Amino acid sequence: MLRFDTPGAGGFADLFTEKPINYDRLPMPTPIPNVPGTRVVDTHGTTVIAVKYKDGLINVADRRATAGYTVMYDQAEKVLALDDYTLISISGSFAKSVEVVRYLRHAFKYFERSQLQPMSQDGKLMELQRVIANNVPAALQGIGAFIPVLSTFDRDTNQGRIYFYDVLGGQFETAEYGAAGSGSAPIKGAFEYILKTKGPFREMDRETALRETLTLLDIAADLDTATGGSAKFLPAAKYITADGIRDFSEAEIKAALGR
Amino acid sequence: MPSYSPYDWNESIQQRNEYIEDRLKDGSPVVALTYDGGLLLLSARQTQRKIYEIYDKLMFSAIGNQSDVEQIRVAAIDVAHAEGFQRSPDDVSVQRLVSFRLSPAIKKIYSDPFAQPVVLKGIFAEMGKTPDRDRLMLLSYDGEFSTTPDHAVVAGTAYAEDRMREHLKSETESGTPTLAAGLRAALYAWGVGMKHLESEDRADADYSTDGEGPKDVSAFIKEHLSKGWIVEAGVLERDTTRESRFRLLSDSELLETTGRYTQG
Repeated sequence: MLRFDTPGAGGFADLFTEKPINYDRLPMPTPIPNVPGTRVVDTHGTTVIAVKYKDGLINVADRRATAGYTVMYDQAEKVLALDDYTLISISGSFAKSVEVVRYLRHAFKYFERSQLQPMSQDGKLMELQRVIANNVPAALQGIGAFIPVLSTFDRDTNQGRIYFYDVLGGQFETAEYGAAGSGSAPIKGAFEYILKTKGPFREMDRETALRETLTLLDIAADLDTATGGSAKFLPAAKYITADGIRDFSEAEIKAALGR
Repeated sequence: MPSYSPYDWNESIQQRNEYIEDRLKDGSPVVALTYDGGLLLLSARQTQRKIYEIYDKLMFSAIGNQSDVEQIRVAAIDVAHAEGFQRSPDDVSVQRLVSFRLSPAIKKIYSDPFAQPVVLKGIFAEMGKTPDRDRLMLLSYDGEFSTTPDHAVVAGTAYAEDRMREHLKSETESGTPTLAAGLRAALYAWGVGMKHLESEDRADADYSTDGEGPKDVSAFIKEHLSKGWIVEAGVLERDTTRESRFRLLSDSELLETTGRYTQG
């Protein structure tokens, strides 16, 4: 696949569609034809939360992966880095989510490396919307819905941004917080309660914001069977600042959980 | 149809080499070396960027026609990303990329008397999990490639490369250098190589070590930097929490190295 003759335009998916290679392992987007009827798309078993805090953004997620009523796995990683300043927190089909994340990581990096400039913020958001939109048939069949929350630190304006999505790829920017997964609905009121009584997340310091989000996650675990608690394995927690993405240490997470 | 004899073949290869070598000889040399925290590529340039990221643990720099360098760069990025996505990033290796994909393609172009040859001599630097697994691969316009540990150089003439290697070897004998020591050695080696290339009488400069004293080389580097040459250095960092391991060093990070020549 040495394309000595054609200039590249930075499109990662073009690498696969221009030449007939390995069609058994298609890259994203993966449309599935022949959708019979329509169904309700379930939100999937998990809780992921993103909030803005004083210096950037915090993402936390439980670590349970479920299939129906069965707990499949207790150490799932649902907060994943797409690039140095962008985190995606995934809810929905785990297999699909992982594939999407792999695709997006490669797409963003491929663009930056080949074009010698990073893909714009809007370009990245558009790529994600397209992937979700292309996944609608699979979501309607009930075999691969995927709904993420995206957090990104905008270095031009020096502030964090959070986007959440509907199943059709519709994108919404949120001012304070974003959450997705089956556990996100029961705790919606708790977010509002915190905003009203303790003030906005974006004015909190890192420790306070982490404590509040982990408390919310704990409540979600109490109210939603598909959201894992923190007793067996600690939740995933990462933050983004102007310096990039960092993991919260085990000690920080334990302190925030009051242990 | 004119007849085509072995003599013509020999002749055409020779002309090709002359044409290519002539175009390569003014390229600003590139130095690659392992330092204690990763891998370093360094060169100096006037306007055009020279050091590029190829994949997660792979970077590239070259001398040659810019359009050719660009084509090889993009081809390498395409191959690496397709493989990394379809299989795994761990399966993207410099050895597979250079010896099985790039080299045969370049060799084919080189051997075709009716094709425009690829004017390029490049270094691909791959960072391993540990310093002893770092791999530096040189790729040439005729498809030839070779692997070296610790350090590698490309320059416009074989002799300039020899002299650069000599200096790097003596600098790295005492063990893997720190980034600061690596940068210092690399820039100095660049000066040694570039000075040989720019000697007024190339024939005299070859096979001599005249003008290689620290004072001469320092003055030479100083002169270039004052004329607006820019030192460019890219690193792959072994232990980093950043998503990207590759980055170009900033002016302030290079100040300790360039300051020796620009200040005082």
